[in-house]
Amino acid sequence: MDSSDLPRRPELRNLIIRNRKRTILGFDPQQIIKYFFGANASTAVIVLVLIMIFLVREGVDFLPTNRHELQTYRQAGLEFCDLVDRPLREHQTLSSSLRQCVSAALEPIVKDARERRNAAFLLKTQAEEKAARQREALENALEREPPPAEDQLAALRKDLQTAAAAASQALIYPSLFTAEETALFKAQLAALSPELTDLPPFIQALSAEFMTQDRAAREKYADLVTAQEEFDEAPDDLHELVDELKEQALGAKQSVEESHALAVNRQQLLEAAETTADPDEKASLIKEAEASVGEEVDLTALTKELTARTGELQTQIAAYVESAEKAAASLPDDVGTPDAAALLQKAKKGLPAHVQDMREAATALESWRVDKPVSMLRVIGAFFFGTEWITNSSWQDFFGFVPLLTGSVVIALIAVFIATPISVIAAIYTNQFATDREKELIKPVIEFIQAIPSVVLGFIGISLVGDLIKEFSEVSWLQWIPGFPIQERLNMFNAGCLLAFMAVPTMFSLSEDALNNVPRGYIDASDALGATKLQTVFRVIVPAGISGILSAVLLGLGRVIGETMVVLLVAGNRIAIPDFSAGPGVVFQPAHTLTGIIAQELGEVSRGSSHWQALFMVGIVLFTISLLVNWCARAVARRFESQKA
Amino acid sequence: MKHTILALTLVIASTATALAQSTLRIRGSDTLGAKLVPALAEAFKKQAGKVSFDIAAEGSSTAFTNLAAGTAEIGMSSRKIKADERTLCRSKSITVNEIEIAWDMITVVAHKNNPVSDLTKKQVMQIFAGDIKDWSEIGGAPGPISVYTRNTSSGTYKDFMGMAMKGREYGSNSQKMAGNEQIVAEVSSNTNGIGYVGYAYAGSKGIKVVSIDGSAPNPAAVKKYVLARPTFLYTSGEPTGTIKEFIDFCRSPAGDAIIAKAGFVSLSQMK
Repeated sequence: MDSSDLPRRPELRNLIIRNRKRTILGFDPQQIIKYFFGANASTAVIVLVLIMIFLVREGVDFLPTNRHELQTYRQAGLEFCDLVDRPLREHQTLSSSLRQCVSAALEPIVKDARERRNAAFLLKTQAEEKAARQREALENALEREPPPAEDQLAALRKDLQTAAAAASQALIYPSLFTAEETALFKAQLAALSPELTDLPPFIQALSAEFMTQDRAAREKYADLVTAQEEFDEAPDDLHELVDELKEQALGAKQSVEESHALAVNRQQLLEAAETTADPDEKASLIKEAEASVGEEVDLTALTKELTARTGELQTQIAAYVESAEKAAASLPDDVGTPDAAALLQKAKKGLPAHVQDMREAATALESWRVDKPVSMLRVIGAFFFGTEWITNSSWQDFFGFVPLLTGSVVIALIAVFIATPISVIAAIYTNQFATDREKELIKPVIEFIQAIPSVVLGFIGISLVGDLIKEFSEVSWLQWIPGFPIQERLNMFNAGCLLAFMAVPTMFSLSEDALNNVPRGYIDASDALGATKLQTVFRVIVPAGISGILSAVLLGLGRVIGETMVVLLVAGNRIAIPDFSAGPGVVFQPAHTLTGIIAQELGEVSRGSSHWQALFMVGIVLFTISLLVNWCARAVARRFESQKA
Repeated sequence: MKHTILALTLVIASTATALAQSTLRIRGSDTLGAKLVPALAEAFKKQAGKVSFDIAAEGSSTAFTNLAAGTAEIGMSSRKIKADERTLCRSKSITVNEIEIAWDMITVVAHKNNPVSDLTKKQVMQIFAGDIKDWSEIGGAPGPISVYTRNTSSGTYKDFMGMAMKGREYGSNSQKMAGNEQIVAEVSSNTNGIGYVGYAYAGSKGIKVVSIDGSAPNPAAVKKYVLARPTFLYTSGEPTGTIKEFIDFCRSPAGDAIIAKAGFVSLSQMK
């Protein structure tokens, strides 16, 4: 190296340093870059804060709005009617059990006749379907004005006959019919024509047979049948009275709402008039606003009319309870089949509680006060512990989010339950056992799952997974699984499976990272002690990475609970708390979710209504849950970090 | 200079064609918007040309929110406008104009192999309100009933409540589906399913119509059927221009034929 080059170096450095010292608008460029990067990072934080503010701003008014609604619900006397109406609904459940009990008791006697009749009807429909084209042609010709020539009709009749004969041959006749019956019925089906108004004689005979059997069965269980009918009719008078009162209360509520709506209307029209530029439009808007004045509604007088009938209601309740108990007492003990006996027991067991509820309702009527204010605590309770989500109702909207929460939680648990073992085991394999080529294949493939749009998965759920699960559940040797055979294609299990699929990439990648982060020294130490590969994996690596894996599972849960499209399409949208008495089979029931309800209902509600605000409240809860889950994941991961250090 | 003039003419010409090619945005009822209105729009386009349609059907309520927001020229609704919706539009300086377009019959459907083919009006109410829970209670093969209803934004949801259920609530066992197609899909795959659809869907595969008190929906005797109802188009103000042409077309004999083909009953058929 030439020594004469040396003095040049400081020159170059000076040049660089001088350049860096240039300022832009009085700021040091390095500072500007720093701020630019900082601003990008803080955007995320600011947006998050803005989202929170927006959610809270729209949602928080829910409590006062709903309080006002519940106040009206009370003042108009709807609550008064519900005091009786709600316990009275239990009657329908009991009555339903009894009706099922009756048909279960009759079942062994009428079953054959009914199945034969139904099978015959089904065959007739199928035969008609198969010859539908020819049938329709003849029907149209017969209806035409003026009627077509006789030879044309004859040709059409002949076509139909051939088609019907072919159809009747092609049908599969069940073994319910003897060979002779099949032959007879086949001939009658072949003769089906729109010109015959009577049913085929064979079906008529089967129907008559069924009627006879049914009558005989009903005679045999006459006690049960009459007791059931008596029980069914027991609340008729009470119903009539309650319906009358309900109508009155609803009328009161509607007039309050109308007067409120007119006031709001006036306000809106006036506001619109302020902003409009066109003087004609302005004048017409103001005129309309002035016309929009409601009458003051005197609720106290209206509700007084209701409460004046408390005595009448109590007498009716007592009469109902008496006749229901009498009907129940006359129920026989012997109802034949075990199914019927079980249903009878169910009804009998449910009755005392129902009677108790009715009696309580009768006393509650007296202590009900129209002017009792609705406390804020009750409004909060009605939202967070309410078991009914009823919207767009003609009686009263209720926003209780427990059914939605249970749906979301159960689906998320199913998804995590399925996804955790798959992704953790896959992560262990990829991290510890896989060759480099396998790694190159497995990692991108699993990560690619994340790129599948959730609406596509939803369609797969509707068109493929649902049918698969349903068919699978009908396989005879799998009937020991609780909940099988399933009835609904769209259910929580279906949604859970698809969500598990969506959660796998998150859980897999993060678990794999966690395993990767296990210090090399642990593994070397284990190897040095002579442990086998498997021992190292399960006794050293997995325990060392467990908090990382846990945090991966939690983040997967966060992903699952916020997912919308799949649950909206696949979960079955039934707004009710799943029936947990079904045991593990509960997973095959449909449900609705927090995310699904927002997606389904937000588009239709008018801005600022209580329904709109309730949906934002759901949004707030959902947001809080996601934050909590993520926070937990971070807390767990932090523990893992400190352990490592 | 020559080039400038040429360019200017081109620009003007293209704006002119863009103006002539008007778009009608139609929003609202799924019952109308899934089959009938697209069919009418298609036929109208063939006849009148130079018009394009943008149709989205997510329930009757969305007709009015879109009209009020000015994001639709025509709203489709399977029920009459509610007072508060009229006010909402009015406060945005929009006067809605109602045009009856066709009648629909809400049809109760069950799985095609279900032996039950007739129900009384009371039984229909009890089934959808959740009082009757098992098919064996009404003479069917034993099995829990799966009830499929439309979702709450649907005009049919509310209409059915009023016409068939005396205003009672749907039972908590009911499942809320996004549209008629979904109800057909679920009922046809579930032997214990029951649901309701617009008459246009009554002939779908795998389902059968359940008559009510012995009367099945029949275009020839609409008013005798308990669940018949008119359907409407709504415009903001008196329709003019292409909108008027389209609505006139819907009410013309050519429109009537399409209405009948789509499974609705045209107004001329009602007389």
